[in-house]
Amino acid sequence: MLTVEGLKSCYGRIEVLHGVDLEVAEGEIVTVVGANGAGKTTLLRCLSGIQPVSGGRVIFRGAPLTAAAHGRAALGLTQSPEGRQIFTNLSVEENLRLGAYSRSSRGVRSDMAESYAMFPILEEKRHLPAGGLSGGQQQMLAIARALMARPSCLLLDEPSMGLAPLLTKQIFDTLKTLRDRGMTILLVEQNARAALGLADRAYVMETGQVIISGMARNLLTDPRIRDAYLGT
Amino acid sequence: MDALLQFVFSGLTVGAVYALVALGFTIIYNASDVVNFAQGEFVMLGGMITWFGHDAGLPLMLAAALAIAVTTAVGVALNKFAIEPARGAPVVSLIIITIGASILIRGATQLIFDKQIHRYPAFTGENPIEVMGATILPQSLWVIGGAVAVFVALWLFFSRTLMGKAVLATANNRLAAQLVGINTNWVMTLSFGLSAAIGALAGVLVTPITLISYDVGVALALKGFAGAMLGGMGNPKGALVGGLALGLLEALTAGYLSSQYKDAVAFIVILAVLFVMPQGLFGKTSADRV
Repeated sequence: MLTVEGLKSCYGRIEVLHGVDLEVAEGEIVTVVGANGAGKTTLLRCLSGIQPVSGGRVIFRGAPLTAAAHGRAALGLTQSPEGRQIFTNLSVEENLRLGAYSRSSRGVRSDMAESYAMFPILEEKRHLPAGGLSGGQQQMLAIARALMARPSCLLLDEPSMGLAPLLTKQIFDTLKTLRDRGMTILLVEQNARAALGLADRAYVMETGQVIISGMARNLLTDPRIRDAYLGT
Repeated sequence: MDALLQFVFSGLTVGAVYALVALGFTIIYNASDVVNFAQGEFVMLGGMITWFGHDAGLPLMLAAALAIAVTTAVGVALNKFAIEPARGAPVVSLIIITIGASILIRGATQLIFDKQIHRYPAFTGENPIEVMGATILPQSLWVIGGAVAVFVALWLFFSRTLMGKAVLATANNRLAAQLVGINTNWVMTLSFGLSAAIGALAGVLVTPITLISYDVGVALALKGFAGAMLGGMGNPKGALVGGLALGLLEALTAGYLSSQYKDAVAFIVILAVLFVMPQGLFGKTSADRV
């Protein structure tokens, strides 16, 4: 589904991704874990086109990914960005409607009903400005909005950021449901334990490179990971 | 009573022009948080080009259509060559760019056309219509009607269409707008084109009453800006009400007090309103949670 080969990216003259290789197959949840500043978010920003790539390439569904950022949702690659980035001045429903901006308007109503079934609190607040939602509700909205595009691959950046453990669990349960429905997900997380518990495969990033990769459940018990990221 | 009605008529006419300028501000502000101080020049261009076309022998309606088309192109070019290259600069820098563009447009108009004051005939005759002892020019009805029609169209655009929501979304969060598939550069082009067209329409409609020359833009931009602030920046309803209220205030002050004080009174009232309601009459208070 998604192949990343030798991806490099710079902020100004400083290279922050030094040739990242990564593979996401159809129907799996792949997670990228690592500390702050390891380059996880930059990687996702490159994939969604808002961060320029300076080397390497990305293949999405068999073709090199070169479309501008606003053209990628239509190809089936949507990102729920770090820090939610919802449209705070627009209502919850308008946020969801705009999530389907890049596809035909057919089926938008039923997709919206599906979002509300998944997150009932959003239906309750659908006419309120999204900026008034709590952090957890905003995260639900950000995920629901990304799903409105009917992506074939969903990029999720730090969905648990700033959320209470109970809400984090709820968000991760949702991701599990999505996977069971066949959604392909690339999940970037600092909460390594939760991410590894959910994902099929995982990559560990450090200072702009992948240092370890493998089956997520194996990494959970890998002593190198346990010491550095799980803290037990 | 007759006098009051007369003042109200002239206030509504001037106010409708302010409202059209304020609506132009609203669109660009909604898409980019930028206050476009070249908005008054669009009004001036609308009037000047229509005069030029009509003077050259074109039918009035054709000259007006041409003026709106050319001004729209100027608006799009302003975005393309001055605002877009500076994307990423702070909003204040972009606002200063629009002030520079306004000076440039004014200078170019002075060179291409001239420094004289011009007018062309009213659309539907010059004979005032008598209403309950007061009179109103048919052209005033065109101006007021134009402002109301533009307001209704914009209101429907922002509240009912997906494209309108995309404009609001771009202003609210450019990054997220791109991620859902909105071409944000195109949204900017659209808003500058649309505002320029609305500004030009105001110029086309009002010139038979107030006359036109290359330097009327600055005052109009300031008045339109004041109207937009009074109503609440970014809200089409606020732009309409704010613009009309400003026009009425001026006309009533000029009528009952002295025309020398009309600007002063208008601005004192605006300051007083903003002192009590900093968001303007219809402005939204920000509801962001962090």
